[in-house]
Amino acid sequence: MASTPTAPQNDVTLGHSYDGIREYDNPLPGWWTWLFIITVVISPIYILYFHVGAEGRSLEDQYLAAMDANTRKKYKKIGDLTPDSKTIYTYSQDPEWIVVGQSIFKVNCVSCHGADGGGLVGPNLCDENYKHIKGVTDIYKVINEGVAGGAMPAWGTRIGNKNDLIMVSAYVASLRGSKPAKPKGPDGSPIPPWSPD
Amino acid sequence: MRARRSSEPHATQLLLIVLLMSANSLAFSRSDASGSEAMEQYSYDDAVVRMFVTATIFWGLIGTIAGVLVGVLLAAPWISEGLRSDVSPILSFARLRPLHTNAAIFAFAGNAIFAAVYYSTQRLCKCRMWSDVLSRLHFWGWQAIIVAAAITLPLGITQSKEYAELEWPIDLAIAVVWVLFFGLNFMMTLVNRRERHMYVALWFYIATIVTVTVLHVFNNLVIPVGAWTGSGLWKSYPIYAGVQDAFMQWWYGHNAVAFFLTIPFLGLMYYFLPKAAERPVFSYKLSIIQFWSLVFIYIWAGPHHLHYTALPEWASTFGMLFGIMLWMPSWGGMINGLLTLRGAWHKVTTDPILKFFVVGLTFYGLATFEGPMLSIKSVNALSHYTDWTIAHVHSGALGWNGFMTFGMIYWLLPRLYQTKLWSTKMAEWHFWIGTIGILLYIIPIYIAGITEGLMWRALDESGSLKYPSFLQTIQTVVPFWWTRVIAGSLYVVGISMLAINAVMTWLNRPATYEVPVYSAPRLTREHVDAPIPQSTLKGKPVLELAAKVDEVSQMNWHRRWERFPIWFTIVTTIAVLIASALEIVPMFLIRSNVPTISTVKPYTPLELAGRDVYVSEGCYNCHSQMIRPMVAEKLRYGDFSKAGESIYDHPFQWGSRRIGPDLAREGGRQSSLWHWQHLENPTSRSEGSIMPRYRHLLDERLNFNAITDRVRAASYLGAVYPFDIEKSPEVARLQADKIAAEIISQGESVDYNGQLIKDSTAIALIAYLQRLGTDLYKTEEPAAAPANAETTTATAAARPGSAPEWADRDSGAQ
Repeated sequence: MASTPTAPQNDVTLGHSYDGIREYDNPLPGWWTWLFIITVVISPIYILYFHVGAEGRSLEDQYLAAMDANTRKKYKKIGDLTPDSKTIYTYSQDPEWIVVGQSIFKVNCVSCHGADGGGLVGPNLCDENYKHIKGVTDIYKVINEGVAGGAMPAWGTRIGNKNDLIMVSAYVASLRGSKPAKPKGPDGSPIPPWSPD
Repeated sequence: MRARRSSEPHATQLLLIVLLMSANSLAFSRSDASGSEAMEQYSYDDAVVRMFVTATIFWGLIGTIAGVLVGVLLAAPWISEGLRSDVSPILSFARLRPLHTNAAIFAFAGNAIFAAVYYSTQRLCKCRMWSDVLSRLHFWGWQAIIVAAAITLPLGITQSKEYAELEWPIDLAIAVVWVLFFGLNFMMTLVNRRERHMYVALWFYIATIVTVTVLHVFNNLVIPVGAWTGSGLWKSYPIYAGVQDAFMQWWYGHNAVAFFLTIPFLGLMYYFLPKAAERPVFSYKLSIIQFWSLVFIYIWAGPHHLHYTALPEWASTFGMLFGIMLWMPSWGGMINGLLTLRGAWHKVTTDPILKFFVVGLTFYGLATFEGPMLSIKSVNALSHYTDWTIAHVHSGALGWNGFMTFGMIYWLLPRLYQTKLWSTKMAEWHFWIGTIGILLYIIPIYIAGITEGLMWRALDESGSLKYPSFLQTIQTVVPFWWTRVIAGSLYVVGISMLAINAVMTWLNRPATYEVPVYSAPRLTREHVDAPIPQSTLKGKPVLELAAKVDEVSQMNWHRRWERFPIWFTIVTTIAVLIASALEIVPMFLIRSNVPTISTVKPYTPLELAGRDVYVSEGCYNCHSQMIRPMVAEKLRYGDFSKAGESIYDHPFQWGSRRIGPDLAREGGRQSSLWHWQHLENPTSRSEGSIMPRYRHLLDERLNFNAITDRVRAASYLGAVYPFDIEKSPEVARLQADKIAAEIISQGESVDYNGQLIKDSTAIALIAYLQRLGTDLYKTEEPAAAPANAETTTATAAARPGSAPEWADRDSGAQ
């Protein structure tokens, strides 16, 4: 076959012909060869760095460090809290920290208590009636341990971090008196207002 | 790697060739008898190619229409709600998505491969297929398998392993059709060929046949459940569990893409592109390097589908590094194809066939750049579980597989039907509509995928999740899913145009097809290879070694290999097996890959039944069960999943996509009542949910007696049960009573549509869901005297929503 003007003139065909298909004896493109070699050569270097190297380079170590950093960032201002009435009450009044509890609530609680706490399968958290709860520490207890034979699951090991549990308890306390879009009817009995004692 | 393999080809090669001569003698026996170059007459079997081309177009239509359907069902699950109760469970995304993928891969692409192989192999070998009977058995056997898939998958008969969903009786049929009908016929054709050397397309076909066999067999090793006790042919558990099952599945899954959607299509490209362009192939050397590097490297890369999972990190690293190494070998194919068009580019403007090939190769280049990129761990951290993967595979499937197939078919139609193509203009239109369809599909889905990934991981200044509502992240991308429906429909319109063009061309066929008779001499044994040219470095002031390396890199040694199909097949098989074994053997032998967690216990009989419902409904298509070690995942789902947690998972259910939230730690997260109501109507429990209703599970009666077979199979696979397995139905009943009692105490009525809820299939599913991810937090209890099943499960009944006590108790005794 005569090569057309656009084809390079220095191509050499091999003697092969398969059903009319012929092959050029062109060399491998240089950039191709080198990129291939580079991708091969970096492999042992990667393995040496991440698998034979120092501690802290494994995915799990990196995760634990990131998790630590995130927790520190979240709570460095306040340190480790204890779940007493005063603490929970205080944070339930603090808009800066309520948003932290709200995020945890939105991940874990909305499927039963509704996006705004108005109640679905679980009770309305915005009215004056409560079950199993007399004061703010009971909120913590119910979240941590669960009640009613698993109807309210225990979130202690699930959420894992005590500060997170306190923040979500504080957020739940703060819901009281809010006006959800579709409030569920009252459940349980009225209790006195929250207090820090 | 290649240099090492090739540096001593002669000693080992000659030894093996001598051994192989006996097998290979078939190729030479007759010519030896005649001793001369007598001409032989032969003709080609194009009828079977016509059959495969027709099937390709037909299944292409079905597969893509199924794609549009699942696209609609995903965005609007409610459309099946008003339908009859025996139809609506079938019309769900989770049941039909495997139908779409299987139809696209094995029916559409599969038939396209066979059309290409049967057409080109005969011509490249200058001989008819070895057996017309096997060709037809292959054709009809394959179509029967596709029909069996189309029936079983919508009915929920599935192994739940992606692209290997078909149950074991169909798997056996696939093995027979693939190896005995297709493989044997192909190999014998090679053996009887009249062309001395095998062209590169044939190497790719060989690799396809060998590797798909290996992959299919080892990923589908299962224990049939109930086949011998009469409770059913259509259920099995894989012999692998958890981490190892996941590893085997993605060794298979990755290489199914490689050796079903890439390697044979490269073979197709190497034949049909130079034929259509009427230009010589750009580089013979590149095709050699490309072939061997792909065959050897591809096999390793599977674990990159499991980054950040409980898979051991070393395997993940191998998956990533070999994934990156695949970049250039893959691009070698694209370059060799595109550069073959040098001197023919003026034809591309007028010829729709070449347009299809150019765009097909371009998408191949895009997808094989993206693949290595996605195999990088930190990129995968963002892309995994998102729509990004879906966009990636569709740029490959629609662009590369689809367009290469269409180009081939348009080239074949006039030749097969011995008349002009009915309308070149229509083919041109198909090209443009198809191209727009692909772009309109992938671009919005890329955006959707990246959006999902970024929203899932986003943290606010306080270190909390920025988008705590999973539902919100999904609702954000639903509009993009609707664009996909439009785009997919455009692609279907394109294939419809192909179908019309094919039918019209067929109508113009001659009354009888001309069957040209060719003649060629039989191959004789007395072949003298051309002398290997000396290195130009010889005699120059360089090391002897350098001259040798130069000589090897000229690849004349490979020319000799091309004369020996069986030798070639064996070397290919060895390359594939070595690469596989180097990963698989350590995966199974190193104990530290799966550290044992003493509190992790087998599923109870009821949970096992529920798990089978989960598998059968295809829940894994939308829900993962694998929390990755990342801050955002911990905040959203809980502690990351450990390898030891899935040791009883036959099959693993880690999933590959999060259309719904991860369920790895679902147990105890919601009340059982919540699950009951959520299955009945998901939107009643989470507003705006796109999960379809599963009312039929509430209506359906659970077959407690069938549970015994499942428990027996689980026990055979290593689960230890402290009760008589024959008592499984009673043990299951006790747990069902308990969960039903719990749901009733939480507010549901005792019966549902006239059936006691404790008899419902949904109870089993809820039992399974309530177990997920809870074992990790159990505390080991001190050894107790083994009690009989009834009393132990009775105590379990007192503790709602968790596994019966014996599951904890027997640990001490072991």
